[in-house]
Amino acid sequence: MEESDAELVLRVREGDRRAADRLLGRYLRACRAVALATTGSAADADDVCQDAFVAAMERIDDCREPDRFGGWLLQIVRNRARNHLRQRDLRRGEPLDEEAAFGGPSPASALEHNELRRRLEVALGQLTAAQREVVLLHDLEGWKHAEIGERLELPAGTVRSHLHHARRRLREILTREETEP
Amino acid sequence: MKEPEPVDLSPLDPQADAESWLRLTEATRLRVAAVLRDRELDPFAIVSGWSRPILAAAAALLMVLGAAVGTLGRSTTVRSSEARRLAYLAETSVLHGHAVTGAEVMGAIRPRAIRW
Repeated sequence: MEESDAELVLRVREGDRRAADRLLGRYLRACRAVALATTGSAADADDVCQDAFVAAMERIDDCREPDRFGGWLLQIVRNRARNHLRQRDLRRGEPLDEEAAFGGPSPASALEHNELRRRLEVALGQLTAAQREVVLLHDLEGWKHAEIGERLELPAGTVRSHLHHARRRLREILTREETEP
Repeated sequence: MKEPEPVDLSPLDPQADAESWLRLTEATRLRVAAVLRDRELDPFAIVSGWSRPILAAAAALLMVLGAAVGTLGRSTTVRSSEARRLAYLAETSVLHGHAVTGAEVMGAIRPRAIRW
């Protein structure tokens, strides 16, 4: 039988590395999806999800509700991703604009992304942050509505609504791009 | 409300580049292992991670008893009178069905220790 998050968290507190590995396997992709939803860059998302997961293990005693580890972890990812954006914008001397993070790939990332990936990132940039998280967790990570609702602390109806609007909007944008010269 | 068909997001799949994903996973695993190793070296981190209050209470009791033993170890005279006070405290506790607190234990020890 698969161990629950709560059991694994308690074992991590006792220093069990295998339990930490299980949590890593269970959540790293979701961490990256949430980081990607905020930063808009795959390279940034990789850095953020790694830092956030390590930070969560360092602060595992602060996880007051071990059975809700997933939501707690994703909140750390979200906060780290926002800080990352803030620092990136400060370095560039630009104001923080989370919604604009997806406005387009940087020259460096444009080189590393293939065209389809670039188009998807730009299209995702037209969604709200919540819609991006929901559509990435559902359609990329394969999470169920209930799982997303529980871990993002959203009502099931809101999850469905975000997913519906996100899919419709993505399709509109991508179709428009295809038909426009 | 008819659900629109999902868009193919597979180009965003981190495991599309399996090598890069493996590097990320391994790097994260190594950093986590270092964090847990540091916890092993820091007994207070382990104690603070105990979830059951009874374990934390036992740790606190051990600290109180450790302090009591340390104080009692100063001299035979001090040890003797403090042992009598502790015995009295224990007897009173049994007679009146009252659980002895850490403060009471320290109270039984401290006055003599300060004079000494």
